[in-house]
Amino acid sequence: MAEAILEVRGLHKHYPLTRGVLFRKEVGSVRAVDGVDLTLRRGETLGVVGESGCGKSTAARLLVSLERPTAGSITYRGEDVTRLSGRALKAVRRNIQMVFQDPYTSLNPRMTVGDIVGEPFDIHPEAAPKGERRRRVRELLDVVGLNPEHINRYPHQFSGGQRQRIGIARGLALRPEIIVADEPVSALDVSVQAQVINLMARLQREFGLSYVFIAHDLSIVRHISDRVAVMYLGRIVESGRDSEIYDHPTHPYTQALLSAVPVPDPRARARRERIILTGDVPSPAAVPSGCRFRTRCWKARDVCAEEVPLLAVPQRLRGGLAGHESACHFAEEKRVVAPTP
Amino acid sequence: MLLDVRDLHVEFRTRDGVARAVNGVSFGVDAGETLAVLGESGSGKSVTAQAVMGILDTPPGRVTGGEVLFQGRDLLKLKEEERRRVRGAGMAMVFQDALSSLNPVLTVGDQLGEMFTVHRGMSRKDARAKAVELMDQVRIPAARERVRQYPHQFSGGMRQRVMIAMAIALEPALIIADEPTTALDVTVQAQVMDLLAELRREYRMGLVLITHDLGVVADVADRIAVMYAGRVVESAPVDDIYKAPAHPYTRGLLDSVPRLDLKGRELHAIRGLPPSLTDVPRGCAFHPRCPMARDVCRTDVPAPHEVSATRAAACHFWKECLNG
Repeated sequence: MAEAILEVRGLHKHYPLTRGVLFRKEVGSVRAVDGVDLTLRRGETLGVVGESGCGKSTAARLLVSLERPTAGSITYRGEDVTRLSGRALKAVRRNIQMVFQDPYTSLNPRMTVGDIVGEPFDIHPEAAPKGERRRRVRELLDVVGLNPEHINRYPHQFSGGQRQRIGIARGLALRPEIIVADEPVSALDVSVQAQVINLMARLQREFGLSYVFIAHDLSIVRHISDRVAVMYLGRIVESGRDSEIYDHPTHPYTQALLSAVPVPDPRARARRERIILTGDVPSPAAVPSGCRFRTRCWKARDVCAEEVPLLAVPQRLRGGLAGHESACHFAEEKRVVAPTP
Repeated sequence: MLLDVRDLHVEFRTRDGVARAVNGVSFGVDAGETLAVLGESGSGKSVTAQAVMGILDTPPGRVTGGEVLFQGRDLLKLKEEERRRVRGAGMAMVFQDALSSLNPVLTVGDQLGEMFTVHRGMSRKDARAKAVELMDQVRIPAARERVRQYPHQFSGGMRQRVMIAMAIALEPALIIADEPTTALDVTVQAQVMDLLAELRREYRMGLVLITHDLGVVADVADRIAVMYAGRVVESAPVDDIYKAPAHPYTRGLLDSVPRLDLKGRELHAIRGLPPSLTDVPRGCAFHPRCPMARDVCRTDVPAPHEVSATRAAACHFWKECLNG
């Protein structure tokens, strides 16, 4: 197993809710990320899945130090990134880059592609000497499959898929070790999604990158990930190797999520069991006591309202394929995706 | 046949010239049947729905040809006044974005009740009672209390239920749903799709489902019409198409979906990009991206070939495609 390159422990991000203008009073908080543990290994892809509002995008912003956590640690090369500042923080940021979801709003419409992809060099001038930059940008455009001759064009002259390639080129500019991609293909058409996924997989092999791949689409996450973490309302509820999560899920939320994914095969209609959850995700400003999934869970009992289930390998399931981390008092294996023949 | 669209043409006048958004589209839906119109952005699927519904923005849009036969009558020949009566009572639409389709300053009850005061001439009190009944029917909990709330007080899934309630209010024979679950989370998506399927069975409605999601289609549709650059390139019963597509574009779409047994390998991407509608390639619009393209594809627009009694494909080489 490859060494851990990024370790996240007990990560919290709470946003205060205030009332009053002159005399601001804190009346509560939105617990966007509420105790997240993650491990990213060198050269691997860690997929993080969850529905909107589960805190996955906030987690991404914390990982690349765009925001400061309320509590917890992010360890990179033996150092806690959350305690760094100034030059030391800048050096870390160079190695952990981000690709954003929306290629329509994450590129400045007034800048040329050359300026966008080359901007990281303005912030980290040591990465490439001034005379080199233009050439480096052309190289980067070539690497992501864009025509280097288009260096002087503006973002609106490109399609969605091409814009996402520009975003990826910018992420690669400083030769980072880690790329955090927040829903990188969800704004793209099906036929173009595959092109971008293939590109990301190729770049990973070529440059030995480690990815944190955040998405709500479970089939894409499965395709690209080595390990998967499922998030619900600010916490990881289950994590493991991709086959453990997809073929042997033990947390009821993961099972419901998997069973709800439409499968592009009408023959699978009859074969699979569907778990339809009732209700909506609670607000992160009013998180239920105990297990936060209990309000929608069909297995919930009294203990679920009282005790917070911890993310650990359940005693009963140790050793088997279902023996991976799951934060449920009543974790048990249940196959929901029919095995592919 | 409940709805029979024949050779529909829609154009948009834009600064860059005339965009042929819909270019000879034909399809049909029976009562109690679900037809999925599948296509990527810019394929003309939403414009087709708007033209059938009669809510196309004119100008810039304009229906330039074809027929829309609904229960035997050509809707395109009706006066606006008559068409309005068909809308709502005969056919209704569910939109993608429930938040912007609902009026933010009216309560949900008022908006649901309006269907009955306007179309059925009911009193406000009776309409309110009907609104509560409808909300129960689409399984919105605590309907009696929530009928007085505003759209922003509902979650995304609940808002979409309100939209569905509004669509079924007058028990129409046909519902057109334009990407009804695209803005929703997976678990909520499943709830809403199930509700639509159940209501369709209960009322024996026809359902036209406009979508880009191959998974949703496989889950609920009886038949599929695949659209590309303003044309239907393939139409068939859902099982046939997933078993063996007869058009290279359909094949490409199916192959580009990540599958469990292909994990770790390259996804089959369709090369290139969908064309701009002001500049659709000559011949078959798909030929620049097609792995099977030959000379004839660059010059001749392929007519829909009959693959079987229930199936058609607009490809010169559909037989080769069908045989893999």
